[in-house]
Amino acid sequence: MTGPARDNRSISPIFWLLFGAGGMLSALFGPGLILITGFFAPLGVGLPENFLSYDHALAFAQNPVGKLAVLVVVALFFWHGAERLFLTLKDMKAGPSLLLKLCTYGVAAVVTAAVIALLLAIGF
Amino acid sequence: MPDPAKKTIELRILRYQPGVDAAPSFGTFEVAGAENMSVLEALQTIKDTLDGSLSFRWSCRMAVCGSCGMMINGEPKLACSTFLRDLPPGPVTVEPLNNFPIERDLVISVGGFVKKIESIYPYIMPKEPKTVEQGPYRQTPAQLAAYESFSDCINCMLCYAACPQFGENPDFIGPGAMALLQRYNGDSRDAGRQKRLDTIHGENGVWSCTAVGICSEVCPKSVDPANAVNQNKTNSAFDFFLRFLRKE
Amino acid sequence: MNESRPYRRPAPKDWWAKAPYRAYTVREMSGLAVAGYGAVLFAGLYSLSQGPESWAAYVRFLQSPVSLLLHAALLAAVLYHVKTWFQILPKTMPKLILGRAPVAQRTITRVATIFAGACSLALVLITLGVAR
Ligand code: SF4
Ligand code: FES
Repeated sequence: MTGPARDNRSISPIFWLLFGAGGMLSALFGPGLILITGFFAPLGVGLPENFLSYDHALAFAQNPVGKLAVLVVVALFFWHGAERLFLTLKDMKAGPSLLLKLCTYGVAAVVTAAVIALLLAIGF
Repeated sequence: MPDPAKKTIELRILRYQPGVDAAPSFGTFEVAGAENMSVLEALQTIKDTLDGSLSFRWSCRMAVCGSCGMMINGEPKLACSTFLRDLPPGPVTVEPLNNFPIERDLVISVGGFVKKIESIYPYIMPKEPKTVEQGPYRQTPAQLAAYESFSDCINCMLCYAACPQFGENPDFIGPGAMALLQRYNGDSRDAGRQKRLDTIHGENGVWSCTAVGICSEVCPKSVDPANAVNQNKTNSAFDFFLRFLRKE
Repeated sequence: MNESRPYRRPAPKDWWAKAPYRAYTVREMSGLAVAGYGAVLFAGLYSLSQGPESWAAYVRFLQSPVSLLLHAALLAAVLYHVKTWFQILPKTMPKLILGRAPVAQRTITRVATIFAGACSLALVLITLGVAR
C-alpha cells in the first residue's frame, strides 16, 4: 500500500544542487566580483593600468586555475538563474514544461559547453 | 456613546450545499454584540440564531484540535483564535480553506491530507524494540530540541491553504505532513529515517516545493513546516547521489 | 446517505503576482541578475578568444556609462539575492542545537550574511593587493 505521495524519484536534485551551488557562490563572492570587473577594473581604481590588458586577461584565461574559476563562476551563475527562471515561468504557466526547460536549463547547458569550448580554444 | 458590546458585525460567508448549489456563493449575516467574539463564536451564534444549516468544523475552541481552519479576510486562520475586534473594521469575509475541495459551506475534504500523513510512517520505529522491563527510551534535552517544534503540529492545514504549489499539485505531500515526517526523522529514538525519506523523493514528494515559505508564516503553532520540507530537499538531493554508495 | 460532492474552487492563475507571494516572485527574479552577470563575463571570455581587437571593444564597453549603470543594477539585484539567500539558508538545514536549544534562525542568517560580506571584501582586497 502506498500513499499518494509515493511516486518516481525526481531528477530535480541535479538542477537543484547546481542552483544551490550557484546561489551560494554568487552570494559569497558575487558582489565582490561585480565590484572588481564592473567598477574597479574598467575605471582603473586601485588597479594597475595593465589589469584589463589583453595579455593580462589572456594569461589569466590560460592559467588552469583561472580557467577553472571562469568555468565554475559562469556555468554555476547560469544554472542558478536557469532554475529560478524555470520555476517562476512554471508558476506563471508561461508554456509547456518542456519548452520552459529548453529556454532555461537548455541555455545553461549550452553556455556551459560553450565556456568549456572557448577555454580549450584559448589554450594553455 | 454606542455600547461596544452591542456592536453589530457583518460576516460574508461562502456557502455551498452539495446537490443543491452548482457553485459556492456568499451569504451575509449580521451578528449583534459580536465585538468580543472570536470568528468561531460568531459562526456559532449565526448557527444558533440565524441559520441552523451553516456548516463548519470545530472542537476545542482553544487552538489545540486544529479543526477550525478557514480563510478569514483571505488569510488562513484558526477561527477560534481569531477575534473580530482584531480585524479591520467592516465586513469580515469567511471562506473555506484555499486549495481544498469544499464539502459543504466551510467544511473541506481532509481525506487527502490524512492519506499523506499515513504514508510517511507517523510513528517511532525504534532501532531495537525494548520490553517494559528494559525501561524507557532516554533522550537528552538537546535531542528533544532537535525535533520538538515539529511535534507541535495540530494538523490544521493552514499551511496547505497558504501553499501555492499544493494548489497547483494536490498530490504534493505538502508542509504539514513533512513537519510530521521530520518530527520522527529528527527523533533520536527513531531508526526509520531512510524508509520515510524514500517516500518523498518524487515530484509529489519534496520536489514540488519552491521554498515560497508562507506556510511557516501562517502556522499558528510556529512549527516552521518550510524548514521540514526544505531540509529534506537537501536530504533527498544528497540521497539522489549517495544512494549508490549506501550499503543496504 | 452520502451526499459528498466536493466542489473544487479554481486557483487564481496570477497568485504569483499577488501578496503575499509577490515577494517570493521578486526574490526568484533576482536569480536572473546572477545569470545576467554570468552573461557579461561570458561575453568577456568570448571577446578574449576572438583576439586583441575584440577584447579592446569589450573593455571599452565595460568603461561605458551603459555598462556602469548595468553593473550598478546588477550589484543591487545581487545584494538583494545575498540578503534573501541567507534568509532561506536556515530553512534548508537541520536545527542547529547549541546546548539545549536550537540556534535562532535570525542568528544563522545574520552570521552567514556577515560571512558573505567578508568573503566579497576579501576577494576585492586580495585582488587589489595582488595586482599591485
Ligand atoms: S504545520 Fe502548522 S499550519 Fe501546518 S498543519 Fe501543522 S500546525 Fe497547522
Ligand atoms: S476549535 Fe480547535 S483549533 Fe479551533
